[in-house]
Amino acid sequence: MKAALKKEIDGIIKSYDGTHGSLLGILEEIQKRNPHNYLPEKTLAYTAKKTGIPPAKVYGVVTFYSFFSLIPQGKHCISICRGTACHTKGSRKLLDYLRSSFEFEGDTGGDAKLFITTKDRYLTVRTVACFGQCALAPVIEVDGKIYGSVTVEELKKILKKLKGSRQ
Amino acid sequence: MDSSTRERRIAEHKKRVNLIFKKCVWDDFLDRALEMSPEDMLEKVKESGLRGRGGAGFPTWLKWKFAREAEADEKYVICNADEGEPGTFKDRAILQEQAGKVLPGMLVCAKVIGAEKGFIYLRGEYAYLLPALSQEVENFNEKIREKGERFSIEIKLGSGAYVCGEETALIESLEGNRGEPRNKPPFPVSEGYLGKPTVVHNVETLVYASIIISEGPECFKSLGTSDSAGAKVFCISGDTDLDEGIYELEMGMTIKEFVELFSDGDIKAVQVGGASGHCVPRKKFADTIIGFEGVPTGGSMVLFNSSRSMYNVLHNYLEFFEEESCGQCTPCRIGCQQLLKGIEAVKSGEKPSEYLDDLVKLAGMMKISAKCGLGQSAANPFISIVEHFREEIMY
Repeated sequence: MKAALKKEIDGIIKSYDGTHGSLLGILEEIQKRNPHNYLPEKTLAYTAKKTGIPPAKVYGVVTFYSFFSLIPQGKHCISICRGTACHTKGSRKLLDYLRSSFEFEGDTGGDAKLFITTKDRYLTVRTVACFGQCALAPVIEVDGKIYGSVTVEELKKILKKLKGSRQ
Repeated sequence: MDSSTRERRIAEHKKRVNLIFKKCVWDDFLDRALEMSPEDMLEKVKESGLRGRGGAGFPTWLKWKFAREAEADEKYVICNADEGEPGTFKDRAILQEQAGKVLPGMLVCAKVIGAEKGFIYLRGEYAYLLPALSQEVENFNEKIREKGERFSIEIKLGSGAYVCGEETALIESLEGNRGEPRNKPPFPVSEGYLGKPTVVHNVETLVYASIIISEGPECFKSLGTSDSAGAKVFCISGDTDLDEGIYELEMGMTIKEFVELFSDGDIKAVQVGGASGHCVPRKKFADTIIGFEGVPTGGSMVLFNSSRSMYNVLHNYLEFFEEESCGQCTPCRIGCQQLLKGIEAVKSGEKPSEYLDDLVKLAGMMKISAKCGLGQSAANPFISIVEHFREEIMY
């Protein structure tokens, strides 16, 4: 691990000094600052050592919450809602479209809690249980922005507008 | 009912019940509330008949009383904004439009129980609400500090786990752990966050609490039924032809009235209370009351028209629960998997239809033996959909 990264992690841990339940906040911040938006094993080991929290507990926390990723994420992220309303209004079609348009790594099928990234790390696609926007079903989130009543046609347009688009 | 009649009726409802989203000046509310004694406040909430709005419906005043009587050097108030139940989006709307009524609710609760610290546990997926909400909280903290009150609110962002909506799992998550529910008792009102007495309330409950304190219990109590007093914010989605999804309505309506109002009439089932709620078929619409005496709900009402496959709906729910089960207790971890596998096997013809009866027994067992509300209520949609739409599961 590079010294600069160690220093950065030290800084994050220090900023949470003395607050209860800081592990989640620390890990969130470390992941956000990672260029590929994930938590490498070495980073986790270092964080465990520095905070004095057992590595098993750190790993336990990381694997419990869907926010954390142990593998590098893509440059763009599309989250598809599979809540009841979105499901009945065809959010599955949007997922199918993405699956047929990009080559994802390690896609084992199914659509519950999906978290897949293209081989070139251009795009990550995940499913979310419910966005709380059911009146706008089906809903997707693209790089933090919510889109409602999305059709496949609309999704195509959104993909075209993404930076570095290849569609 | 034709659409103009429906529009008129909905407008009448909106006029009759308008507590949460009413625009009103609340500047003097803090002064008035701070002048009141904790006993007075507790009495008002008791008189109003307010029960928890997250779905379970525990009497609010009783929670406050228990936490008030618990002896400890520190106590906490937590606003549960981890709104993860599929089909529920009222708390998002309330936080976006009426955060100014949520925060005083937390203060009022803190005054009654004697807490100096409050947390808002905001769902990770709602991170986009954070900038505006943080500003609101900062202003509020400043305002009450000026009034010499020792209470402050902090926002904590969740990291994406449905089970954290369960109060003890939420507390675990706040403490930086895996969000695994704790054994109850002890309940959070005696041992909660950091082992201290803690009151956890749904966003909506806190808003009603502040309205009750501000405008008196009568405005709330005069609505609803004896078991389910007051009003409630409903989130309507699925096969409704209306664009808007959020309505504050009186408790105690029948589903028939509800469906006539919010759909074009072709509805075969309503899922009340989200994925963990009950599915009510058309034949039961007329005699099912929305409220604690009938089907309780955290607010989610998903309507399904005749073209929807209830097998698909149930499959979606079970996949959801299989994923979201925290895995701590066996009934829920294994039960959710087996229910999902089971309906797939019946659908494909691998198992006979009688197998559904075995699965219903399994679901009943989950209801009584799972450790927390997630595992217990995961059985609800299964039992009700299999009971009323058996053919759709089989063929």
